[in-house]
Amino acid sequence: MTFNPLEQRGIPLDRQLRNWRELNVEPIDPDRCDPYTRCRVITMNGIEVEAILFSHQLARNTVDPEIKRQLAQTRYIEAQQQKAVNWLLPGLSSVLETTIAYEQVAVDLTAWVARMEPDPYLKQAYQFGVLEDFDHLYRYANLYEMIEHRKAESIVDNLTEVMPGRPTRYHHRDPVDNVRDPYAKDQADPLSKLHALTIMSTEQQTMNFYMNTGPTYMEPIARQLYQEIGLIEEEHVTHYESLVDPGETWWEQLVNHEYNECYLYYSFMEQESDPKVKAIWELHLNMELEHLHVACDLMRRLDGREPAEVLAPALPNVLTFEPNKAYLRELLDTQMDLTTLGAGYVREAHERFEKMQETIHGGENPPSDRVMHMHDDMFGREYRVQTEGEHPDPAQREK
Amino acid sequence: MSDLQTPHAGDDRSRDDDVVSLLMRQHGDIRNLFDEVEATSGEGRRDAFRRLVRLLAVHETAEEEVVHPFVRRSVAGGQEIVEDRLKEEREAKEMLAVLDDMDPDGPDFLPKLIELRRDVQMHARAEERYEFIHIRRSTDVTDLAAMAKAIKAAEAMAPTRPHPGVESGAKNMALGPVAALMDRTKDTVRKAMGGS
Repeated sequence: MTFNPLEQRGIPLDRQLRNWRELNVEPIDPDRCDPYTRCRVITMNGIEVEAILFSHQLARNTVDPEIKRQLAQTRYIEAQQQKAVNWLLPGLSSVLETTIAYEQVAVDLTAWVARMEPDPYLKQAYQFGVLEDFDHLYRYANLYEMIEHRKAESIVDNLTEVMPGRPTRYHHRDPVDNVRDPYAKDQADPLSKLHALTIMSTEQQTMNFYMNTGPTYMEPIARQLYQEIGLIEEEHVTHYESLVDPGETWWEQLVNHEYNECYLYYSFMEQESDPKVKAIWELHLNMELEHLHVACDLMRRLDGREPAEVLAPALPNVLTFEPNKAYLRELLDTQMDLTTLGAGYVREAHERFEKMQETIHGGENPPSDRVMHMHDDMFGREYRVQTEGEHPDPAQREK
Repeated sequence: MSDLQTPHAGDDRSRDDDVVSLLMRQHGDIRNLFDEVEATSGEGRRDAFRRLVRLLAVHETAEEEVVHPFVRRSVAGGQEIVEDRLKEEREAKEMLAVLDDMDPDGPDFLPKLIELRRDVQMHARAEERYEFIHIRRSTDVTDLAAMAKAIKAAEAMAPTRPHPGVESGAKNMALGPVAALMDRTKDTVRKAMGGS
């Protein structure tokens, strides 16, 4: 079925404000929920956080007080949406459990986007990044067993494998090598724009989450691991945000944001297994349709252009959370040893990369290696979930 | 699920010189045993449930002897924090007693168990957030280690690991009823804490 958000009307903006009772959502069950329900919650939280932060930046660059007021109205509703979505996460979960769920999102969302991305350069950017999130999941899973004596499969439920990706120690690149080339806004497939915005937003949320929750841990190794991976999230945000064409006007970007929110709420509404959560996706879709119309009106007024010129004629195929095990294994087999040079990818450890590595590691093992040594000291083994057999790379098999 | 077994706290190779990290790992062990009870049936479930009951009994008793007195004594508002935790523990024990009388393969067992699991997990997270944090803040390493030693002593007297190939019923019987186990845990902990 084709769904064109431009032709649909939702809930009028002046009827979108919710009271405390309506915002008081019942959290999902930390032990019994569909892991992909939790992934959808985490994704939509990242999307709403980006919506709020983008609108704030836009307001700070807007002179006309009338337009500022209009942005404030929509933004307040978006702030309520963020609260309703993120408050679906249960207080019973520890930060580390939520972290493992964040990494499951990063793995299965980025892998799916890489599979569906039509542009080869953009596809490579996602393939490159996903192998790093995949390794973060493995490191955090080992930390989790050390601190809470629990196995990450109780969270990811064997939908996602847990084993080494590109080793975290090699993710630390010279910052200039994290900047990619952007797509060209007038040639790019509309789906490519949605992909870039989605992955940029979720990685940004991950960066924010680690930078704020990392120091709440008391265990030195946990604090250090969050610091290390938190810095890699900074690299990932740089990597993905640079894919977006900076030539898009503010209003065009606003329209893209709202359109993407419609796309994702629609996608998740179609897949959701939890009826209460599904009702939230449906409600929010109906709110977003109006936010999109407001944004389109602003673009027409201030850019003098038709939003339909930059948007897809109908929503692309729904974005789906599903296992990507075979695809990830193929990448593990072929792209483990890549790094970046300028806006491209190379296999050799070039001078700038070596220099960065030398300086940041300071002649010591980074936290991501030490967590594995400490885990081995405690259990005499690693923690992995390899449901499809041994690691594709013989060098990464457990000794 | 993978066939990797996470050993119980005390059985891994941690130095166990910090009571808080030891108890946090034990909270995970309890959750793992809940998983095992849910995943099994018949004799396997009976055995897993016995081990869960024992671990809960020893863990909660040890906390009552070691953690709560410390928080009551040394933390501002500690009295109220501990009262809340004790209330939760009493409720959990009552539910445990109800479950203990039920047929583990009967239709009412699992729903009740899941209810208990949720309560126990809420209790554990509340301890981690409102008690453990104070212990680490206001205790020196010697005390942390002494408390860890007392908890380990309690754990050692009531093994809660599976006994593969052994008829576990006999061993369970040898340990006696839960109330007696709690009493013995108390004595052991008090002795280890220096008779206080």
